[in-house]
Amino acid sequence: PANGSGARAGRVDPYGFERPEDFDYASYEAFFSRYLVVLTRRAIKWSKLLKGHNGIQKSLKDMNRTFPDNVKFRKTADPCLQHTLYNVLVAYGHHNKAVGYCQGMNFIAGYLILITKNEEESFWLLDALLGRILPDYYSPAMTGLKTDQEVLGELVKMKVPAVAELLERHGVMWTLVVSRWFICLFIDILPVETVLRIWDCLFYEGSKILFRVALTLIKQHQAFILEATNFPDICDKFKEITKGTFVTECHTFMQKIFTEPGSLSMATISRLRESCGERLLAQG
Amino acid sequence: MAKQYDVLFRLLLLGDSGVGKTCLLCRFTDNEFHPAHISTIGVDFKMKTIEVDGIKVRIQIWDTAGQERYQTITKQYYRRAQGIFLVYDISSERSYQHVMKWASDVDEYAPDGVQKILIGNKADEEHKRQVAKEQGLQLAREYGMDFYETSACSNLNIKESFTRLTELVLQAHRKELAGLRAAAAPADLARLDEDELPPAGAEEAPKACWC
Repeated sequence: PANGSGARAGRVDPYGFERPEDFDYASYEAFFSRYLVVLTRRAIKWSKLLKGHNGIQKSLKDMNRTFPDNVKFRKTADPCLQHTLYNVLVAYGHHNKAVGYCQGMNFIAGYLILITKNEEESFWLLDALLGRILPDYYSPAMTGLKTDQEVLGELVKMKVPAVAELLERHGVMWTLVVSRWFICLFIDILPVETVLRIWDCLFYEGSKILFRVALTLIKQHQAFILEATNFPDICDKFKEITKGTFVTECHTFMQKIFTEPGSLSMATISRLRESCGERLLAQG
Repeated sequence: MAKQYDVLFRLLLLGDSGVGKTCLLCRFTDNEFHPAHISTIGVDFKMKTIEVDGIKVRIQIWDTAGQERYQTITKQYYRRAQGIFLVYDISSERSYQHVMKWASDVDEYAPDGVQKILIGNKADEEHKRQVAKEQGLQLAREYGMDFYETSACSNLNIKESFTRLTELVLQAHRKELAGLRAAAAPADLARLDEDELPPAGAEEAPKACWC
């Protein structure tokens, strides 16, 4: 809502609603002049971030490897979203120097761009996800990611013990089967609509939702996974369970994730994150 | 039922992001080449059975994300490998320089007898070449490794390099593998810390465990 900046508020607001007769223009303008400062600060920040140059660009080899099967990301597309993606990622690298660029962020920023169709909005949403909603999945040590993979392992032990036992028996590390689930927030794992429904919950409820999705996939397909008799089989099963009508029917899938895994309190997640984090730290 | 393979082991693809590790693998296992494919996140693997010197070898080839920070995840797999491809891109001097870093990480995390070969990929991109073939040869000599310039795009030296590394691993485990052709059940060199059950068709458990 950047229009109306500076000028006196009109009879019709930016959304098309006529203002009532008794509209309090004075307090609205007082509010808007304060809000304008925020909008301006963001716009300035954004344009500065776009201009900056440092080493981030060097590691950005993923532009043509982001969504090669998406026509809007092809070099021949007009406009070509590879440029938009590049801007968002370079800007984020400047903004959050401790994280910089991590492979996987390209997919997330790519989805945000496809949905918002807006570079600056994509940037701020990426910042909300990486800076506030998710633990530090993408920082150089990837501690948050490694921790959450272990947390999922613990949750599976509690809720689907036979599967946990199977993986343990065959030496399948959780990171092998689920790292992409966490890093890409289910992009390229589940169907687009399902991913977007999950993201709605992710923005609203936080990172706990990722465990709900993972546990639902595993619990729902428990019998199928348990058919596996060796290491490669298990890995194949984990790829198979992310396909088919169960995940395509995004509406029922979303209902399932709140029932299938049973209760999952934030206190449990926090406790497990703490203990798994300590364990990883001890392992070095 | 005839056994499906005589021996199973693991190879690992290492090298900078974008040097073509996934493309090498797809060309070798599926004879496919996709110039634009999605970047590898974490670790993945593909399997293929080849016959070397009359021995049916089932190889599990591990593909890794090249970005440095992913090593925190991928290094866990080094110790499970019997052979390692160190890959650079002939059109990227930087990726060639980094081979030394990859090699020293292998020394640190991989098992002692691990076999290594050096790969200069994208040999079809002659017009963009930044690393002379001689530089590749020299680096390989320094490390006592075999060297191939490959192209997943034009299918140059793909089968040759995978077969060569397989031979090297077989030679390194010659003693353990003696009498293999007479054995009824497959040997599992990859059997390091997980218990892998024999595949369907090999009803008996391996007669010995070579690890």
